[in-house]
Amino acid sequence: MSQYREHKEVVATKAWDHRLFQRLLVYARPHWVLFVKSFLVLTLLFVFELAGPWIWRRAIDGPVTTAWQAGLEADRGPYVRSMLFWVGLYLAMIVGATIMRYFQVSTLNRTGQTVIHDLRTQLFRHIQHLDLAFFDKRPTGSLVTRVTTDIENLAELFASGVVTLGFDALRVVVLVILLFFIHAQLALTVLVLLPVLIGISIAFRGGARHAHRHVRAKLATLNGFLQEVLSGVRVVQIFRRESRVAGVFAHHLHEYYQANRKTIFLFALFFPAMSLGVFLIQGTALYVGVGSIVHKEMTVGLFFQFWLLLEMLIRPIRELGERYNVLQSAFASAERIFQVLDTQPLVREVSQAAPLDLPLTTPPHLCFEDVRFRYAEGNEVLKGISFEVPPGKTVALVGATGSGKSTIINLLLRFYDVTSGRITMEGRDLREIPLTDLRRRMGLVLQENFLFAGTVRENLILDRPGIRESDLQEALKTSSADRLLDRLPGGLEAEVAERGVTFSTGERQLLAIARTLAARPPIVILDEATASVDSETESKIEHATHRLLEGRSALVVAHRLSTIRRADQILVLEKGEIIERGTHQELLAMKGAYYQLHELQFAVAVEG
Amino acid sequence: MKALWPFAYRFWRYRTRLLAGLLCIPLGQAADVAMTVTIGNAIKRAAESDNADWIGRVIWLLTGYAVAQAVFRYFQRWWIVVVSREVEVDLKQDTFEKLTGLSFEFHNRSRSGDVVSRLTSDVENVRMFLGPGLMYTVGAMVVVPISLGVLFSLNVWVTLAMIVPMTAMGWIMKALTPRIHRYSMEVQESLADISHRAQENFGGIRVVQAAGIEDAQAARFARSSERNRDNQIAMGEARGLTHASVNGAFDLTFVVILVVGGLAAIDRTLPIGDLFKFIDLTIKVFWPLIALGWIAGMYARALASAERITELMAEVPSIVDAPDAVQPRTMRGEIDFRDVSFRYHPDSPDVLQHVSVHVPAGTTLGVVGPTGSGKTTLLSLVGRLFDCEGSLSVDGVPIRDWSLASLRGHLGYVPQDSFLFSAPYEDNIRFGADEELSDEAIHEYVRRAAMEGEVRSFPHQYKQRVGERGVTLSGGQRQRTCIARALAKKPQVLILDDCLSAVDTETEKHLLESLREAGKSCTVLVAAHRLSSVAMADQILVLTADGHMEALGTHEELLAQPGWYHDTWERQQRRAQLLGEGV
Repeated sequence: MSQYREHKEVVATKAWDHRLFQRLLVYARPHWVLFVKSFLVLTLLFVFELAGPWIWRRAIDGPVTTAWQAGLEADRGPYVRSMLFWVGLYLAMIVGATIMRYFQVSTLNRTGQTVIHDLRTQLFRHIQHLDLAFFDKRPTGSLVTRVTTDIENLAELFASGVVTLGFDALRVVVLVILLFFIHAQLALTVLVLLPVLIGISIAFRGGARHAHRHVRAKLATLNGFLQEVLSGVRVVQIFRRESRVAGVFAHHLHEYYQANRKTIFLFALFFPAMSLGVFLIQGTALYVGVGSIVHKEMTVGLFFQFWLLLEMLIRPIRELGERYNVLQSAFASAERIFQVLDTQPLVREVSQAAPLDLPLTTPPHLCFEDVRFRYAEGNEVLKGISFEVPPGKTVALVGATGSGKSTIINLLLRFYDVTSGRITMEGRDLREIPLTDLRRRMGLVLQENFLFAGTVRENLILDRPGIRESDLQEALKTSSADRLLDRLPGGLEAEVAERGVTFSTGERQLLAIARTLAARPPIVILDEATASVDSETESKIEHATHRLLEGRSALVVAHRLSTIRRADQILVLEKGEIIERGTHQELLAMKGAYYQLHELQFAVAVEG
Repeated sequence: MKALWPFAYRFWRYRTRLLAGLLCIPLGQAADVAMTVTIGNAIKRAAESDNADWIGRVIWLLTGYAVAQAVFRYFQRWWIVVVSREVEVDLKQDTFEKLTGLSFEFHNRSRSGDVVSRLTSDVENVRMFLGPGLMYTVGAMVVVPISLGVLFSLNVWVTLAMIVPMTAMGWIMKALTPRIHRYSMEVQESLADISHRAQENFGGIRVVQAAGIEDAQAARFARSSERNRDNQIAMGEARGLTHASVNGAFDLTFVVILVVGGLAAIDRTLPIGDLFKFIDLTIKVFWPLIALGWIAGMYARALASAERITELMAEVPSIVDAPDAVQPRTMRGEIDFRDVSFRYHPDSPDVLQHVSVHVPAGTTLGVVGPTGSGKTTLLSLVGRLFDCEGSLSVDGVPIRDWSLASLRGHLGYVPQDSFLFSAPYEDNIRFGADEELSDEAIHEYVRRAAMEGEVRSFPHQYKQRVGERGVTLSGGQRQRTCIARALAKKPQVLILDDCLSAVDTETEKHLLESLREAGKSCTVLVAAHRLSSVAMADQILVLTADGHMEALGTHEELLAQPGWYHDTWERQQRRAQLLGEGV
């Protein structure tokens, strides 16, 4: 179980991780068409964008300059016509660029979203099949983050990260080459100065990330303290410590402010530094350019083109730092996602296990043979448990909290595997029976009866195949949950609010029993709820429980006297061992632990 | 807009730096525009002259402009944004002090998440709008007219013509923003759905796996994810449309410059160098214009947030000192409840009904009863966390006539939820004391709370940091720490609200003796579930489930008569025997 020991969430902060990238590519491959489209769109857009400066150059060097040189007296007709031609071309270019800009945003976005949808679904499916030990170690919230925030970060990676960054690199190279064609000396000076900009961009982002992290940490402390004071406001007020906590708050606030000053400073510095860097390049370009124009080595139009291409070159470099950060956080998310995907369930199917050779409706014979169990790193919670559940009989488990009752039912369901000993069904080790075949034979009723968002019907059927309408109706009648539905607007089709809040505890228990009855399982595993309900519901639950256990092999963590009394055998557990066993009458006669527990139970019943 | 004025006033307090920062904006913009004009003139001159000797001087001039622009930009951002952060500090501090000053009745009815969001995201919204938002607005307000002014002076017609597509850009943004907003709402909803599904499946994994419906649930999840994907794609398309139209309108400006400016150049009414100025200044006004659209979106949020903060600041504490409140220096600790009733809301049921009990100074009153019988509420009334009906007096003075400072100044309180701060252990004890505590004094209080040995076993002993809400301490350790903290107050009245439930019986016995020792001169009110905690009290008040008095007497008297106390005592004793210890 060592793989569960460390539950790390803080992972690599590399901006580029080739191994992870290779793995991500596997998910991108089926959608290669979208990636090709994205590149096509970006290429076309780039071509259109390049056309702009070129048209300016041709228009200036063409009609404008020649008209200027021809003098005031010349006929302006040909120049105007030539000018209008370039304007027309410019318009066409803009139409093309505008269309491509639309596709640039929408196709890139579509690509990212399509890929992450696949990954998200696969991740969810994988998590669903992991064993309970995995869930024990992780707060639900952190797992939810995997399929939400982390996955969304990856969309950024595919869209703005890989595609755009890759293309930006291409743009820079092409632009530099073009500049060389226009004016080699000028281009060379630009190329020499370019690293200055790149340096500023990356250095700033690095600093900003640190500073931001610092601000977030201080803000977390500040808000944490605020939360704390709000939840303890009663203590603060009775102790008259309002001004003292205000002082502490002021201290945290000041630290937060100081951290903020650092980021403000960085940002205040970055923008001017960047524009000075740009000026360095543009000023040099102007200096060299003007010299070239004067010496007729370069036309004014060519200088225009050069200048506008320079603007195009600077933009991706300015955004470089930003993209770098996107990549970094996306790779961190990818790492966390693959960590989960690489986790294998500890409860595994034996390959080629044959289903049990017993009709799905026949109650089987269950047997625990010297079962021992410990949770990861924990002490032994079951110390050699042996008992049998003959077909159609009920075994009740009784004992204090922590005596191992819940563990026994968790093992029977194979939520965990035994540490030693074995559990058999019809003489076969549970681990050699296919999980689906095993669990299909069992009906589970839990203490906390979990309802999913959806209709009541969906909650009763729970997507299990083979439940007919007649089964459902019969289950409702048997559990007397049908009367409950009568008063619901919409009946079976009524929507269950989040976590089933519209039902009382007792009603939820009835629904859970109906849910189990509907599948007509030959084995029932029941963890009786301890919460008290009104006496009318109580008697309904008693009745429904009785019908549920009838004729089935059943293992019950019992709290109700009526359930215990009817059990064919009662096991009294203490600290992971069976200390007494027998029927209700036999155990009472022993005047041992069960007798005392029974007395206590009675007293509790009177109090309730 | 009115809602924002009080906040604008807070900015005004820092007017020196704020105004200096605001002044930097036009100066920086002017330097920026000057650069464009200078470069344009250089190009113009280059096309006409046959030597380039002058270019060195131009570059020096440009460098001057560039440096000036950088310096102004730096100070503009530095001064304005720092002031906005200082206003944030003031605002948060004031709101915090307001919050801790509000009566418990307020905290009871408001959700803490809502209150926290006013102090965090609402303050941030207001700050963003009045700080950086203002900066960008002023920036746009300055650069657009300056640029247009320069362009007008060059050529009126070109300038007039290019205003058309620029205005169109504004309209397009305004028209398309609601669409994006709508799609983004849908995306948010489908994201919430995904996270909800994940939450319930991972939380209810037992049910899912036992029913063998992992794959069916995964298919449902896939549908949610699909819906989100489709919404995201639809939003991407809407964003693409906006992006394309805004940029298209912007590009059209260049067409206008090319056609009108180009024709003017052919006509020799516009030199080529001036064409450059048109192009470069258009690029320079593009971003400020986009920023204006962004700020318009911020305004609505800032306004709503300002109202929410103002609403909070307008809350009046419901419990305040009476105008002629007495402030005695000492308290004897005689407490008298006479026919006290209480309900949390006018239309909710009574929690306490006609409770009368007299507690002489220096005696102990135990309060017991089933869950929900109002034990905690009864104890809260003594600290005047709430005002009640009937008469409640301390030392014969009605509680409303006490000043809160002197009333609460004499109380020691141990809350039911054992609230501790996530701070070093000793600081939690110091919290209780009015004066600075010596280390010896802290050790003494901890010893009296039967915690000394355990504190010494902590890796950092008294400096050990108590985890968030004290999670690194066990329940019993937290309870005893709260007791030590209350003792540090040297209270005249000690209120113990079911604070021994997680302490084992052995320690409880020790603690009760120690408390009695300490509390010889002090009145003690103790609520408990475990009756052994109150058995030694001078009187015990038994409350019923609906807040009535069932009985009042000593342990022996109550045990001698049938009723809740008798039954519960019997049961607890038996359970204690059975499990070998106290529950």
